[in-house]
Amino acid sequence: MNRRQKLLLAGLTALLLITAQARPAEAQTRVSIGVTETMETYNPYGDSVSLLYGIWCQVMGCLGTYDFDKGDYVGMLAERWEVKDPNTWIFYLRKDIRWHDGSPFTADDVVHSFNRARNDPQSKQTQNIAPIASAAAVDKYTVRFTTKQPTAPLLEYLFDRLIITNKAVYEKYGTEADRKYPIGAGPYKFKELVPGQRFVIAKNPDYPGMKQLTQAPDELIFRVMREDEQRVTALLNGEIQIAQFIPPHLRKRVESDPNAKATTVDSVEIMFLAMQPKPPFDKKEVRQAVCHAIDRDRIITTLLQGLAARLDGPIGPGQYGYDPNLKPKYDYSPDKARKLLAQAGYPNGVDVELQTTVGRYTLDKQLNEAIVQMLNGAGFRAKLLTPEWATLWSNVQAGKTPFYYMGRGSIVDPSVALSQYFETGGSPRIGYSNPKFDKLLATERQTFEPAKRRKVLAEAMSLLTDDAPACFLWRHKMIYGMAKNIDYKPTPSGRIFGEDIRVLR
Amino acid sequence: MQRRRGTKGDIIAVYLLQRLFGTVPVLLLIALLVFVLLHAAPGDPTTMLLGQETTAADLAEAKRRWGLDQPVHVQYVKFVLAAATGDLGRSFRFSAPVKEVIAERLPATIELAAFSILIAVLCAIPLGVCAGARPNSWIDNVGTSFGLFGISMPNFWLGIMLILLFAGTFHVAPSAGRSTYGIAGPSQTGFYFLDSVMQRNWAALKDAFLHVLMPALALGVNMIGILMRVTRSSVLETATEEYVVTARAKGLAERIVLWRHILSNALIPIITVVGLELGTLLSGSIIVETVFAWPGVGSLLITGVTSRDYPLVTGLVLMYTVAFVTINLIIDALYAFIDPRIRY
Repeated sequence: MNRRQKLLLAGLTALLLITAQARPAEAQTRVSIGVTETMETYNPYGDSVSLLYGIWCQVMGCLGTYDFDKGDYVGMLAERWEVKDPNTWIFYLRKDIRWHDGSPFTADDVVHSFNRARNDPQSKQTQNIAPIASAAAVDKYTVRFTTKQPTAPLLEYLFDRLIITNKAVYEKYGTEADRKYPIGAGPYKFKELVPGQRFVIAKNPDYPGMKQLTQAPDELIFRVMREDEQRVTALLNGEIQIAQFIPPHLRKRVESDPNAKATTVDSVEIMFLAMQPKPPFDKKEVRQAVCHAIDRDRIITTLLQGLAARLDGPIGPGQYGYDPNLKPKYDYSPDKARKLLAQAGYPNGVDVELQTTVGRYTLDKQLNEAIVQMLNGAGFRAKLLTPEWATLWSNVQAGKTPFYYMGRGSIVDPSVALSQYFETGGSPRIGYSNPKFDKLLATERQTFEPAKRRKVLAEAMSLLTDDAPACFLWRHKMIYGMAKNIDYKPTPSGRIFGEDIRVLR
Repeated sequence: MQRRRGTKGDIIAVYLLQRLFGTVPVLLLIALLVFVLLHAAPGDPTTMLLGQETTAADLAEAKRRWGLDQPVHVQYVKFVLAAATGDLGRSFRFSAPVKEVIAERLPATIELAAFSILIAVLCAIPLGVCAGARPNSWIDNVGTSFGLFGISMPNFWLGIMLILLFAGTFHVAPSAGRSTYGIAGPSQTGFYFLDSVMQRNWAALKDAFLHVLMPALALGVNMIGILMRVTRSSVLETATEEYVVTARAKGLAERIVLWRHILSNALIPIITVVGLELGTLLSGSIIVETVFAWPGVGSLLITGVTSRDYPLVTGLVLMYTVAFVTINLIIDALYAFIDPRIRY
């Protein structure tokens, strides 16, 4: 063996030793998730982004959550709840929950959290407690919420939304508490937050039931990756194990990799065309003509490659109050559309301007280009405008956009969204007003018996579909890319809980 | 000689001071411009930052809390008065003082820019000098083509290509971010290179290096192109000067003539271009940082603009202005050290 060979051998041995040492005995499981939304503040009330609600719920705690498999609300920090009278809700808290510093979790913490969501100067979550007049601790483990008026869909406001934080820590450290002492009560513990970069949380074995979940990841890392290409490449490069929201055209790239797979899930975001009841949309026939003019099935099978489910009313299967017997009201028929337009007094067609933003929703621009073509084939003279999201959104909120493509996310129970878009005075977004619909919504909010309430809701939605202040189009299917060793069923709301993930060893 | 040098130095100092004072109206004007443009732009921070469920009452309350219910000129005066004391206000999006938010992200951008310059200077100057010294040779042709490639390459596209190639296909570099979680210790300075050297954490140093390499290359490639071409032409021009002929006539080695006599005199336009390009680098970082999920002030600006975070955007634009002015001042001061006519 000459000198060079000896050196080479020594080098190789050293390398072997180093790599052997680098391998820990029993590795902790760590799952990185490439997410599209960015995390910017240590204040659990300082953001109203759905991703962060999900993270804070796991770290700090939430009263409850919506279980999409069961199709019902289930408790987290709350064990059960009851409606004492139409304006009084009682929540009974679990007694076996402790804060991560060991102190017991009590009703005072819940009341404190309610107050912070309402009064914290940085709070961007006042809307989640809007129907509630006051909160009070009845005893150590019982909380009473008093609503301003009967609100049957109260859980839609509170669950997955009201973040529960530690009263004692906040009273001791004030606003410093969020950054320096992020002590929660949830199934995961706060580990690190680097604004704009990542949020790291670690399994809390002391949370009831977490010890048994041996396959749940020990650490979850949410990494901000806004670009689609970036998330896919990072997944295939082994940097992340779950990639959120992969656009249809990148799905094949994920599926063709031997170490990755793609899973789809129906989103709870409904996509629709909103029409303000101003000329020409003040005429019901014109609005209905729009619905008849669009071949939703063709758009779904071609442009969306099957990655969407058609909506025949405001909501679809899996959402609260969906009526499975619902018959589609609007088939694709340019002839019917033309006839309706003629009935409305536009036998020679009518000019309309459809607005959509670009890049916020899956293929928004392409889909709306197709919609405009279809409208033009059915007697409309439609033009497409594509303002930037901030412009469109603030115009919509101010009631300045007559005809637009929009999504409304996070709809489990549709009551709040329906009120917001379609009830008289709900918001200026559409400016629709129909006393009959208003009455149905008001009844529904005061009906606490689920079967009855579902019936009223279904009636209201049927009325809405017929009157067509909006043309309901589809719900996208969200694609998640995953490493082969990850077993995870994504939720329609986009919430990601560590306890739902299994790492196969 | 000594006396003359002192005078020049004084003149430079006075000139720099004047320039420094001259920036005050510039800053005021920029702040005004940003303020007016931001408020004139459609969109509203409250609707952008509060959720879809928000009611009109919530929006009005947020407007009041953030001082947006006051007339724009009142907001401007308040901002200027506070800014004069060093307070840039609180970011709506981040719920934290703008100064803190920027300070948290600035090291990432500085680190990225520094690496870009390093790569650019190390690639472009030797290449430019060699090309300039042997015009129309093969090295000149290769260098010039490379320069053209660098200038015409859009950096976001190059960024995506680098990601696809090195992260997607060869799996040799991470595709995004600034570090791998769990390798580096707690950050002390915000500069990951400095941190890992101070903590003697060589794994973290390597990790930081791997992360910065692709974005720095994507960001620096235009600079490489321009710098290479400027170096080439500057060297070509200087090579015809009489003192170069004299140096050669004295019998100096070609190596010494080239690197000591030609290059040191060709440096003035090169430095100017580096200074100018630094500005371009800062604005280029806005796009490159987004492509690589690099958590610097560039991606911060995008976040600020898309959510109409007025205080944050104003603060960032002012920071960019100060950076531009400072860079130019430094370049001006550098001339004095580089130009041999000042030195002798």
